[in-house]
Amino acid sequence: MNTSKRWLPHTFKIALLTLLLLWTLIPIIWMVLSSFKSNDIITAGTPRVFFTPILEHYTSLFSSGNSLWPYLLNSLFIAGVSTLIAVVLGCMAGFGLSRIRIKGKQHLAFWIISTRMAPIAAVIVPLYLLFRYLYLLDTHAGLIVAYLSFNLPFAIWLMTAFFDDLPPDLEEAAMIDGATKLQAFRYVVLPLMTPGLVTTAILCFIFAWNDYAFAQTFSGPNTQTIPIAAAQLLTQTGIDWGKLLAIGTIVVCPMAIAGLLVKRWLVKGLTLGAVK
Amino acid sequence: MATLQLNNIVKDFGGTQVIKGVDLEVKDREFVVFVGPSGCGKSTLMRMIAGLESATSGDILIDGERINDVGPADRGLAMVFQSYALYPHMSVEDNMGFSMRLAKVPTAERREKVLAAARILQLEELLDRKPRALSGGQRQRVAIGRAIVRNPSIFLFDEPLSNLDAALRVQMRIELARLHEELDATMIYVTHDQIEAMTMADKIVVLQGGVVEQIGSPMALYHHPANLFVAGFIGSPKMNFLDVEIRRADAEGVDVVLPGGDCRVPVEGDGVSIGDKLTLGIRPEHLKLDDQGALTGKILVIERLGGTTSLYLEKGDSQWILVADGDVTSRVHDQIRFSFDPACAHLLKGNGDALPHRHRHPLADIDRKENGGLSV
Ligand SMILES: Nc1ncnc2c1ncn2[C@@H]1O[C@H](COP(=O)(O)OP(=O)(O)O)[C@@H](O)[C@H]1O
Ligand SMILES: [Mg+2]
Repeated sequence: MNTSKRWLPHTFKIALLTLLLLWTLIPIIWMVLSSFKSNDIITAGTPRVFFTPILEHYTSLFSSGNSLWPYLLNSLFIAGVSTLIAVVLGCMAGFGLSRIRIKGKQHLAFWIISTRMAPIAAVIVPLYLLFRYLYLLDTHAGLIVAYLSFNLPFAIWLMTAFFDDLPPDLEEAAMIDGATKLQAFRYVVLPLMTPGLVTTAILCFIFAWNDYAFAQTFSGPNTQTIPIAAAQLLTQTGIDWGKLLAIGTIVVCPMAIAGLLVKRWLVKGLTLGAVK
Repeated sequence: MATLQLNNIVKDFGGTQVIKGVDLEVKDREFVVFVGPSGCGKSTLMRMIAGLESATSGDILIDGERINDVGPADRGLAMVFQSYALYPHMSVEDNMGFSMRLAKVPTAERREKVLAAARILQLEELLDRKPRALSGGQRQRVAIGRAIVRNPSIFLFDEPLSNLDAALRVQMRIELARLHEELDATMIYVTHDQIEAMTMADKIVVLQGGVVEQIGSPMALYHHPANLFVAGFIGSPKMNFLDVEIRRADAEGVDVVLPGGDCRVPVEGDGVSIGDKLTLGIRPEHLKLDDQGALTGKILVIERLGGTTSLYLEKGDSQWILVADGDVTSRVHDQIRFSFDPACAHLLKGNGDALPHRHRHPLADIDRKENGGLSV
């Protein structure tokens, strides 16, 4: 009786999830598959499911006169450094914000995260002017700062939430055990914060890695990132679909894997077996 | 050797005074229990002793030295938290050895000391486990073990048994009392459970609303409560209260009006006069069924515990409890008469203060050691 009642909604749920999965995955699968097809097959009127995979688009991306390497290194460096700074500062600020006892703490926390809520378009012009005065246009530092302006408040906010979940009893126990505040942080708090740190790092990295608007505005010949390289393939004389899809694959795949990792960590959450 | 002294300790949390001037002296090797209802400031007081919270004003002295400005790491104390606060990412052995690791004690010596503490607490089998693989009682032991390993001058316990089930709680209570005997250390213990306080303490500190209501041995609090709050808080089941009026007061005692005739309670009657309204307090176990008794009540509920029977009585518009023998034959709805020995009664003034008894109870000032070891 009971199972037959739940049977219908259950199939419905499965169907809905399947649809959603197809909706999300098909473009990505199409992109990845097509990046191994020759341009003729990609642009043919009828899509081909079976084909001989070729690596031509990838090899030409990295070998031709305009190699993708500098773009890739710029992306890795800028996203990596801005993530590192955001996580380190976010961790410290989040810990402070979570543990401090002051009036209006939630207002302070809200103000910090509210700076992350501004649309990118709204900050681009002021940042551009600022960067021009500070000679930060077409520098790695400039883009790192631009990404930090969004990632830092986000990292602080996320880390505050993770620290809020960690009972202060643990640090206090460590301090009574003879630890200084720093030792308590190093030996007790930090190891328990790994899920929070990894989650924050991956989310910050994704933001910087995927960004097009900031890179388009602030970068120059020396600092262009992968999304810019992709955009450069959209020329007035035509679109090189094969290369474009290969770049797309290079951009998306690491992030998709990282996304799965975040999910694993987030689901795992903080396992605090020692408290209660 | 460790004594603790608190002088006029005040704690202010953003404008609200939570501890309102506490004075206390803890002797070496004493087992002191802070007891009081939830939110009365017990944990706050303990955390100030531990150094986790600073005192807004007043002095905290350990062995006569003011330590207000000494950090928690350097006070030489150990604390067992209500949540146990075990480090989830460390094994039991590492949890217990953490303080020694910080102090850079060599590994071999560390292991030896952890093993010694583990032996006392029967934790040897569990040394490699992580806290999440332990039961509540085992976590409790690890937390205590972590404290023992430090060999502290003073042990602090903040409601350590409140997350355990009833049977385990009784067992750990006995174990803690045994531990106190064995380690011969000064211990301060926080609880809201007056039974834990009565059974373990050398000295009980009754707190309410950030104020010390009374300090004394369990028997002193039981036989000589200083005020209405302590009278009602200490003892289980709770003391019965009745509004009475003074007929006569002199050096021998105070006569109060009861329905079945006057009653002379042997308390000092200074400062009260005829006609004053008082509260008479009498414990359930001091009431006895008596066909000639001065008091009457109707039985609402009977709880038979085997050895004793609790009779819940309707008496006027208040409810009383009478603890009788296990084999009383009374039934629900019976109208019964009962009496009490006036020497066991307490008289409390309108402001809550008790009139002092003229004679000290012989057990009131005996400490536990003279009492022949464990009082559990
Ligand atoms: N960090 C704090 N900030 C503000 N108020 C607090 C803080 N800690 C405790 N209090 C308040 O102090 C009072 C006493 O708390 P506590 O010492 O934990 O009581 P107990 O341990 O007796 O239950 C409570 O009213 C509580 O709300
Ligand atoms: Mg408490």
